[in-house]
Amino acid sequence: MYKGLRFFGGTLLALLLSFAAQAATPTLVVYTYDSFTSEWGPGPQVKTAFEAQCACSLELVGLEDGVSMLNRLKLEGSNTRADLLLGIDTSLTAEARASGLFEAHRITMQKSSLPQPWQDDLFLPYDYGYFAFVYNKERLDNPPTSLRQLVTDEEGPTILIQDPRTSTPGLGLLLWIKKVFGDESDQAWARLSKRIVTVSKGWSEAYGLFLKGEADMVLSYTTSPAYHLIAEQDARFAAARFSEGHYQQIEVAGLVRSSQQKQLARDFLEFMLSDGFQSIIPTTNWMYPATLARTELPADFGKLIDPSPALLLSDELVASKRKSWVDDWLEVMSR
Amino acid sequence: MVRLNSRAVAAGLVLALLALIVLAPIAGLLNLSGIPGYEPGDLRFWQSAYIRRVLFFSLWQALLSMLCSVLPAILVARAFALQGDFPLRGLLLRLFALPLVVPAVVAVMGVVSVYGSGGWISLGRSLYGINGILLAHVFFNLPLAVRLLLPQWQTIPPHHWQLGEQLSMNAWQRWRFLEWPALREALPGVMLLVFMLCLTSFAVVLTLGGGPKSTTLEVAIYQSLRFDFDPAQAVVLALLQLSICTLVAIVTLRLQRLPEVEIALDSVSTPIAVPQKRLNTLLILATGIFVGMPLLSMLIDALGGPLWQVIGTPRLWRSLVTTLFIGLFAALFSVGAGWLLLQYSASLSLAGKTSKAHLVDLAGSIVYVVPPLVIGSGLFVLLSPHVDVFTWVYPIVIAINAVMGLPFVIRSLGPALRQNHARYHYLCQSLALRGWNRFRYLEWPLLRRPLGLALALVAALAMGDLGVIALFGTPHSATLPLLIYQQLGAYMIPHATVTALLLLVLSLTVFWGLERVIGGKTGA
Repeated sequence: MYKGLRFFGGTLLALLLSFAAQAATPTLVVYTYDSFTSEWGPGPQVKTAFEAQCACSLELVGLEDGVSMLNRLKLEGSNTRADLLLGIDTSLTAEARASGLFEAHRITMQKSSLPQPWQDDLFLPYDYGYFAFVYNKERLDNPPTSLRQLVTDEEGPTILIQDPRTSTPGLGLLLWIKKVFGDESDQAWARLSKRIVTVSKGWSEAYGLFLKGEADMVLSYTTSPAYHLIAEQDARFAAARFSEGHYQQIEVAGLVRSSQQKQLARDFLEFMLSDGFQSIIPTTNWMYPATLARTELPADFGKLIDPSPALLLSDELVASKRKSWVDDWLEVMSR
Repeated sequence: MVRLNSRAVAAGLVLALLALIVLAPIAGLLNLSGIPGYEPGDLRFWQSAYIRRVLFFSLWQALLSMLCSVLPAILVARAFALQGDFPLRGLLLRLFALPLVVPAVVAVMGVVSVYGSGGWISLGRSLYGINGILLAHVFFNLPLAVRLLLPQWQTIPPHHWQLGEQLSMNAWQRWRFLEWPALREALPGVMLLVFMLCLTSFAVVLTLGGGPKSTTLEVAIYQSLRFDFDPAQAVVLALLQLSICTLVAIVTLRLQRLPEVEIALDSVSTPIAVPQKRLNTLLILATGIFVGMPLLSMLIDALGGPLWQVIGTPRLWRSLVTTLFIGLFAALFSVGAGWLLLQYSASLSLAGKTSKAHLVDLAGSIVYVVPPLVIGSGLFVLLSPHVDVFTWVYPIVIAINAVMGLPFVIRSLGPALRQNHARYHYLCQSLALRGWNRFRYLEWPLLRRPLGLALALVAALAMGDLGVIALFGTPHSATLPLLIYQQLGAYMIPHATVTALLLLVLSLTVFWGLERVIGGKTGA
């Protein structure tokens, strides 16, 4: 029976080791996505900056992505420790609203660099970006100049995309094509599918394969080249500007209704819109900060393409149609 | 009879715990009526052409991958067994443990480096599709199958080889009358394990499969639990996967034939040298190259990466310690639980109750196919109203990894333990050798090698696991696989390759260490 004892003793030990010390100061718990909390993400700097002014401790909990965060909150309901959710995007906000788990922020945005006016009583944007096909200038001379050209040109470049069932950019492309092609989206996908090398689970796999030279273009963001420019001093990469415009992704934060520290949470939201937070975003999250003007961004952001007009479907429409659109997509792509 | 009973009780407890870890979450997920905005979708999944297609594809690719991995593995394991003096044999066998720990995304990159458009052996775009899936699955599973099958050759009693020689058996006759009977105990189990591993494969299938045509049931489960947030449908699909695997397992294990166990005092047997030396050498080399190439490409990528910059971060070392901690504890629990199950099943098998013994083995292995995402989410639903889940992240991760490691323990330790039990149980009874003394004087010396292998396999597996920890999210420190994903997600692909290399080195060290310390000096 020694084995059983060891089993039991080990469990206890593991439990004891895993108990984290609880701080005496108030702790604000923010659910966010994993890459926000990583060492090179905005997390560490945001934590330092906010803790310097709040007399509190900021705990950033990294979950897989926006979808996991929202599901997690739904599963936990009012038992959640989260005071705030940071990092869901506009394709999820309607669903988040329907959950009834959020409370009005009651904050007016004084400054905004978003191309559209922001009106949402539950969610506040902190950054945004645009989906785009990124390519290597040394490998591709004449990138398509419109989404239509990418779709219809049989001799066009090969591409890597992500699966809309598992990835945010993947869903983004689905909506982008819907926005541009409307009822003809299925035909568009059928034509495009011949040049899709593969459809990956997440952004990382597709981008990794692209850097290995597996395809001419990869679905990513208009801001991706900024990473290569600034962090690697590598100017080979560019995003192709499409004349129809680029589908937009706005990342938002919301106040959890069951939070016991709503004042502190609102302080964080105010902080999120301030320059202290916003100036961290460009070179850590590689997105456009929601309140900083273009002129306040690092110089290399000026070399990026102009993604206008911004394309966006309403969050209500996305919430109601997403499932059937994804089913249609599966049908076309599985032929 | 007293011994049998205490074994039954211990195994019963383990099974109950397993059932609790696997079934309670399922029940928790089914009982979600209180979730705001949740309406269960259509559960009549058999009416969905999508699910039917996914099901067919999952089974087809898993069967094909299993055959492509296990059949060559028989030949390769045989070559290893018969070439005891092959130079680098130990190193190669240890190398064969590595694919097990490589996170899927890293393995995909490795496979693409070798077979992609810019690769050493370019398959161009034809890589994406069933070719890529098979290549990646064989890369993962062939070495594993070799490791699990190889010990079977050592169970052939030495005097059988001598007898074979006296009867001047040729290679075919030796295979037919000496090796095949020994192999038949382990082979069905290994086939089942590899089948399960391929059936539940996710990122590899999706990324190398070329598109949603290549969708496994695991993807559909993930989709319904996460994307559609329909826990009921996820549970139904998970149960479907579980039932299919149970069916496959019942069919597979019927093929199992347990060899007669003879009382032999020298337990380690060396096959006599055989004339097909060149062919065997060629086989070993070819497999070594096949497994080595993607690993080598990772090594080359990593050495060209920001090695010092990555090694210099304190966060990396914290992650390394966390990873090690999770790996070792999961291995300990998994092997402990597996040991109790196997003891019981061995005593059942000795008492002639073979089908009941199979059932116990089966219960231990089959839990593997319940997706960790389902177990994790369910545990979440059950635990979060009562405890602070964050303080439980590590115990939960360790528990789920220990459960996921059980089939590996059963396959690597099972045959040896059963034979040992059959050989010495009556002797032990007549000597009244039991409990600690029996372990110390009999089981430890004779079983430390498979014990070492089992511990090493589970530790490696748990250290390479991403799914569970990513699911729960952690405010403390990430594991190395999670760190790799974070780096990949932040454009830092060169950094990720370096971290992946460190994970490989860590796993190799742990594997080597456990096999050495627990398994003893004789090596593989």
